[in-house]
Amino acid sequence: MIAQQIFNGLALGMGYALIAVGYSLVFGILRLVNFSHGSVYAFGAQMAMVFIGLRFGVIPGLIASMVLTGVLGVAIDKLALEPLRKKKSIPIASLITTIGISNIVTNLLIVAFGSEKRAFPPLFDFGTLQIGKIVVSSTQIGMFVVSLILMLLLVGIVFYTKIGLAMRAAEQNPKAANLMGINVNFVISFTFFLSGISASIAGSLVGSYYQIVYPNMGFMAGLKAFAAAVLGGIGSLPGAIIGGLIVGVSESMAATVLGSTYRDSMAFIILIIVLIVRPNGLFGKKGITKV
Amino acid sequence: MKKGFIRYSLAMMALAGLLSGCAQGNGQSSEGANNTSGAKTEGTSAAGGEGTVKIAVAGPMTGDNSEYGIGFTNAAKLMADQWNAQGGVLGKQIEIVPYDDKNTSEEATTIAQKIVSDGDISGIIGHFSSGVCMTAAPIYQENKIIEISPSASHPDYSKIGNYIFRNNTVISKEGAASVDIAVHDLKKKNIGIISIMTDWGTNTSGIIKDLITGLNDPNVKVVAHEEVMEGSDDYTPAITKLNEAGADVVICCGMYNLVAPVAKQYKNINPDISIVGFSNAYSQQLIQLGGQAVEGVCFPVIFFSESDDADVKAYVDEYKKVYGNSPSALTSQAYDSVGILLTAMKEAGTTDSEKVRDKLNEITYKGVTGNIKFNEQGDVDKQFNKVTIKDGKFVKMN
Repeated sequence: MIAQQIFNGLALGMGYALIAVGYSLVFGILRLVNFSHGSVYAFGAQMAMVFIGLRFGVIPGLIASMVLTGVLGVAIDKLALEPLRKKKSIPIASLITTIGISNIVTNLLIVAFGSEKRAFPPLFDFGTLQIGKIVVSSTQIGMFVVSLILMLLLVGIVFYTKIGLAMRAAEQNPKAANLMGINVNFVISFTFFLSGISASIAGSLVGSYYQIVYPNMGFMAGLKAFAAAVLGGIGSLPGAIIGGLIVGVSESMAATVLGSTYRDSMAFIILIIVLIVRPNGLFGKKGITKV
Repeated sequence: MKKGFIRYSLAMMALAGLLSGCAQGNGQSSEGANNTSGAKTEGTSAAGGEGTVKIAVAGPMTGDNSEYGIGFTNAAKLMADQWNAQGGVLGKQIEIVPYDDKNTSEEATTIAQKIVSDGDISGIIGHFSSGVCMTAAPIYQENKIIEISPSASHPDYSKIGNYIFRNNTVISKEGAASVDIAVHDLKKKNIGIISIMTDWGTNTSGIIKDLITGLNDPNVKVVAHEEVMEGSDDYTPAITKLNEAGADVVICCGMYNLVAPVAKQYKNINPDISIVGFSNAYSQQLIQLGGQAVEGVCFPVIFFSESDDADVKAYVDEYKKVYGNSPSALTSQAYDSVGILLTAMKEAGTTDSEKVRDKLNEITYKGVTGNIKFNEQGDVDKQFNKVTIKDGKFVKMN
């Protein structure tokens, strides 16, 4: 049973990891915790449901949802965050703004779709696989593979492309990057686009795993994924994946050993312990205090 | 980072508070916009607020359980429209006033206090879940306002006072019906229980355990009991434990939004599992969400929309015509709750709470959910139908 529970936890953790990647991506560039990410994730899942429902076919439906969710990410940045940056407002203002946006997006989704849970088609429905006593579903394997590919792709973009170089430069010193001819606002918007796409992928995968989507799905998942991102060292992409897996497995183990009642508190208990022992998270760089 | 995190958490909390404030107005306005039939009653109130009998419907209009609150409101408006078409009650038009409690005790208390201080509401239909009802009920009782909950099933709810009624069976009755399905109809011995962590869920699972012990059958036993958070989506850890314990039937103490994912996730692990639910899982949504996995799920219901009874048919057709979907069991109980309240007012010849309450205790009302007769506690006794899902449809069990 323990092996099965660890595996259940890994599948759950992959879901958190996929969301956590989006937090880390934006934090890595802007040093901003984008709390709207959970709602963007729910938006991506809803859109995927709508587009697949419209007989787009699965793959075009997912792509349409990814693009639209990416655009939502850019819109959030352009409409709400960029004006704040221009006014050089204090970081907490941007933070509160993202929380506000999260509520706006969620409530607009409720207005449009109603708050009830809706069925989401399974994306990798090839039955289940039995290894010894462990039952593994094809959806779980699919989530694993897609998360890994997504992470490798994002690492590839950030470390091996020109725009990635620009992203890292903008992170280190936006002003200097600007002087070197980098359009910092474009780079930031691009980052939001990427995080939107990853949110949409996460939403579709998690939605298809549980075969359920609803506007509020991003709230708890978003908070736990944030815990996962901080746990792994926020800003670090591999850290987000490892953090997600740790949160997922510890939740599953908490449910097994202590009872399902304790699982929701587990993510945050682990978060606090890790932050006491390693204030920068597992993979976090020692922060250089910017003045 | 640590310091930052605390700040973020504080900010989150502050905003969560703000959100609940906004969402309420939001929910109510969209509620009004959604219901075409509501326009009529609301129009009346605009014409002359003094000349109407106001009945409040309190329930979750937004949030996870919104379909129940919206269902209550729809049903109440349908009933009120039928009365209004025949001249209303006591010569006045009836107005249904929806309140959104989001199924939280905090909101329910606020709403109860608002209703009490406004003083122009003649009766409350609601709230939805037992725990929420039980926080609001003492306020109504203290101020002598009649509350009829179409859904509360916690044994202690109606004991709160003599103005507190329910048009739903007490959970022990329903629990006995569920256990009966599991043990006698499905002939299963090893019972697993999965329950949501609310007042209702915890209490119901306790009652089920007592009922099974009370059967005095050495072969029938509860092999495992798991409590889960409502709406956590992932129930596999709990299911794995139930499965390891050797359960061959699972009694699901939760609404359709628990039963559907549990059925799906359980059947991935053990395709032969039988699942038994409660009447609050009886909703078209269960089939939409659960699909193939909820085939064979059984539960007891009081109201069955495919029934042959002429009154039920007429009501279901009318409801479908106005709102486009068939009414659930709880929605229909809300419909009857309004009916019995209005009948009591008519027979008492007044909206005075005390007289209406006495009348409520006297009359027997023939509704779509059976004959309603409140006992001295304010509870009702009803007959259960056993229903299962076959080929994507609800059918009566033989």
